[in-house]
Amino acid sequence: MDLDTCELGGTPLKSSDFEKCKVLTTEWKPNLGYAWDNGVAIGRYLAELKEGRIIARVCHECHRIMLPPRMFCELCFRPTDEWAYVEDTGVVNTFSIARVNWDASRRGPKEPPLMPAVIEIDGATKGMGIMHMLGEVDPDDVTIGMKVRAVWKKPEDRTGAITDILYFKPIRAAAPKKAAAGRKR
Amino acid sequence: MATTEKMSKNTSPTHWEGEIPVNYIYTYGLAGEAFFRAVKDKGTFLGARCDACDITFVPPKIYCDRCFEELKKFIDVGTVGYVDTFTVSFKNMDGSDKTRPRILAMIKIEGTDGGIIHYLEGIGIEEVALGLPVQAIFKPKNQRKGGIEDILGFEPLKR
Repeated sequence: MDLDTCELGGTPLKSSDFEKCKVLTTEWKPNLGYAWDNGVAIGRYLAELKEGRIIARVCHECHRIMLPPRMFCELCFRPTDEWAYVEDTGVVNTFSIARVNWDASRRGPKEPPLMPAVIEIDGATKGMGIMHMLGEVDPDDVTIGMKVRAVWKKPEDRTGAITDILYFKPIRAAAPKKAAAGRKR
Repeated sequence: MATTEKMSKNTSPTHWEGEIPVNYIYTYGLAGEAFFRAVKDKGTFLGARCDACDITFVPPKIYCDRCFEELKKFIDVGTVGYVDTFTVSFKNMDGSDKTRPRILAMIKIEGTDGGIIHYLEGIGIEEVALGLPVQAIFKPKNQRKGGIEDILGFEPLKR
């Protein structure tokens, strides 16, 4: 084997050693499939997403409306008390402009950057929200505090997943009346 | 309600499926590299000899795990051995049935203190016995890539 052995006793390998097959290798892809139990709260949350609604959970002790919903209040250390629908609008709490994909591969020059954001959902307690994507907005125009609305998949395409919401888009100046009116609960 | 809230329908509980995409490239290390080079290029096995302890390690290693001396002498130990222990596998790794049962055996390599775990071929389950002499069978040389799959298995020794 024609490999440098360093003073510490290890054998450094360069990318080229692999590319030129200077070193023998075995490749493997373990099967790491899993099934995660949704539980009562997330089970209902996903079922409601399929119906085009966002549901939260209320604690009568601290009066928080918690999103995503949970059956136990981590502050009061007691079970939560009731379900409550919240809006599908909100404000951007924080966001990121990503020019790489989840696996760190670079997005092409014609692919727009991904804009993951934490959206504080209207109707839930301040600071409560979900992580989702922003869309229909220029990356340069995204701001913290920006008002956004969910863009849903067509009802027949929904599967009971967080991706039943395609992304959140800015509520334009033309639409504030509709946003202010909200939806009847 | 709440945490005491019981699901009344057994179709209500749902789950979310996913997978963690992980893959890796394993390098065999200095001794493993030498071992699989010998398999690939010469169709034979290497062992590492510790003269002080009178131990021949198969597969080879770069240190004696008894006296911690560095082992520099890799020797050709041949491809003949005997069944030390075995088991029969009817299932694939994903739990599905194998098209035929496979016999997996620990083969002690003759004249050494080590061995190789691999398939037994060319023999029925009822015929396998501890101590059965066997020899390695390899893929044709042009198909070998330098790995454990270059060895097809072990078959009863033809005398």
